[in-house]
Amino acid sequence: MANKKVSKKDIAKLLEQWSQQFAVFAPSKESGVAEILKWDGKDTSFLDWYRNTVIPPKASLLPQMEEMFRFQKGDDGYNIETPPKDENKRLIFGIRPCDARAMSILDMTFENAYEDPYYLAKRKNTVLVGLGCTNPCESCFCTSMGVSPAESIDVDLMLIDIGGDFLIEEVTGKGKELIAKTSGLQEATKEDEAKTKQAKEMVYNKVTRKLDTKGIKDRLLASFNDEEFWQKVAAKCISCGICTLLCPTCYCFDINDELVKQEGARFRSWDSCGFPNYTKMPMENPRQEKWRRVRQKVCHKYGFYPMTFDIIACTGCGRCIRLCPVNWDITQVIESVPDKTEAKK
Amino acid sequence: MEQKLRQEAKALLEQNKVDWIIGFEPGSLKFTTTPLITRDKSDAEHLVINPFIFNNLADFLTGIKGRVGIVAKGCDSRSIVGLIQDNKVVREDVVILAVPCPGLIDLAKIERLAGKDRDELDDITRDGDKIIVTVDGQKKEFTTTQTLFDHCLACELPTPQEYDILLGEPRPPAPELEVSGQNIAELKETLPAKRWEFWQNEFSRCIRCYACRNACPACFCQRCFVEETEPQWVMPMPRWQDNLIFQIVRNIHVSGRCTDCGECERVCPVNIPLRSLTREMYGIVDELFHFKSGMDKEALPLMAHYEQEEAEDLFR
Repeated sequence: MANKKVSKKDIAKLLEQWSQQFAVFAPSKESGVAEILKWDGKDTSFLDWYRNTVIPPKASLLPQMEEMFRFQKGDDGYNIETPPKDENKRLIFGIRPCDARAMSILDMTFENAYEDPYYLAKRKNTVLVGLGCTNPCESCFCTSMGVSPAESIDVDLMLIDIGGDFLIEEVTGKGKELIAKTSGLQEATKEDEAKTKQAKEMVYNKVTRKLDTKGIKDRLLASFNDEEFWQKVAAKCISCGICTLLCPTCYCFDINDELVKQEGARFRSWDSCGFPNYTKMPMENPRQEKWRRVRQKVCHKYGFYPMTFDIIACTGCGRCIRLCPVNWDITQVIESVPDKTEAKK
Repeated sequence: MEQKLRQEAKALLEQNKVDWIIGFEPGSLKFTTTPLITRDKSDAEHLVINPFIFNNLADFLTGIKGRVGIVAKGCDSRSIVGLIQDNKVVREDVVILAVPCPGLIDLAKIERLAGKDRDELDDITRDGDKIIVTVDGQKKEFTTTQTLFDHCLACELPTPQEYDILLGEPRPPAPELEVSGQNIAELKETLPAKRWEFWQNEFSRCIRCYACRNACPACFCQRCFVEETEPQWVMPMPRWQDNLIFQIVRNIHVSGRCTDCGECERVCPVNIPLRSLTREMYGIVDELFHFKSGMDKEALPLMAHYEQEEAEDLFR
């Protein structure tokens, strides 16, 4: 069956229609920074300004701060009260292919490696509607990471800008089902399909930052103990949490109890392996020196994640490059890793 | 200026007068530079000076062992002097390569004026007091008043006072206090309840990345109160209340040390106007104690010493 399309000026109507069934989330600057927020029911101005958000969409499923449970001191120890699972049906509109891939990467940790009920309750009830890029940033390098800026297998529906309309690709069964229940869409013509193909190719070529990741896992492992290299790489890092907290694939969290008198709650909130205090809870951070923390960040994404899940935990979204206070650039770092592998010897 | 810097930096390393050079080299994105921290004299040729040398390099001094040749704008030099006052840096261990600074270009302002993101611009150049932005092949002209950082417009010391090697003609200060302080003045005119609401909104966005603290040379504590767990002064969760407390306490801790270099605000990934707090504190310090941070290396650090006669009942 042919794909559907929707006129750009009808996006508000489409989102309104979906709002009957879902809590709809869309790109917004309402809070003072670009992020995916609950759609306000009318504003589609993001179609003009949106390239990508500063806050990655992972925040919708792994919030910056989340209450895990409450507790109260009773006569016989503590009473634990688990909050109801957040199983509201939600639809994230406008996620970029890089960030959608990041969701799939997060699933590997939160679903496959172990089951995280907080994440999964939300994830299972979320429909991802992707929006293809037309104007990638200078810092984007998705095409080097197996992501195409206007194509995605990680969403349920994919919208591609073809001028006055968006062509809608039904990527999953969930997406197909949603489209079957959606009214007001038009059939895409052969011409629209041709335009779609062209749009995808055109934007693919607009991503100019390239990174060669061939053999990177082995190169990193072979250079793991090259302290001089890591010292050099880490020299200008200021150990802030921007590149990790705002990375769409970083998932580390810290757990804290807040106790006031006899009752309180346990929270989890984003944490960063770049922080000197990371994992301080049992004793001290084993990575006291900055270069060890920078090494951990790089190796986790490009070495350890591939070892465990056979995929690099970086999708080339470029946030860490464009938001870094000192212009520490992961693509330069990866390219400068010395080749000390057996193959080279 | 750049040529002279490269020669001097190379010579310092060659003659073993310093172990390290800290300066700027071209960044990997348009209109950026990146800190260059090196012991290799061949790196000296990468050093640059341009309107995008944003970082306050004094931030790196406390984390480095050995003698350092450091590129310093006026504000950076004040931070270095502050670190000397606080016994964090030994004067003899630094060679200050002074850059008379005409002000740095605020890319966020340029983006608003040009209606485009920074990476969509063809070029940004400076010609005297004009800033020329090329967008889609068309040249647009702006004034420095429109395009420099607010803290640069307020600059009282474009040319370092404390230096070893001066890299160019000294520039006299020409602060444009009204323009640079406009945001703060507007904020001060609003009613306290409104202002409270404003900051509540601003701090709701904070993600507690601590870039403001880590980019700040005055924030040199090895253990920051915010990370203490016994006692736990603030919760690590990014709630606006905790975020605000963190920033207010940080502000108090850097009072008398903050040189209004503007880095905290520039590096904030979620656009919190932090300078509105730090600059106000800077003004209060000046008003109450007639003290300007980092102006005189012989001066005793404002918040780290007190005289016998200052003792109040509280201390007796």
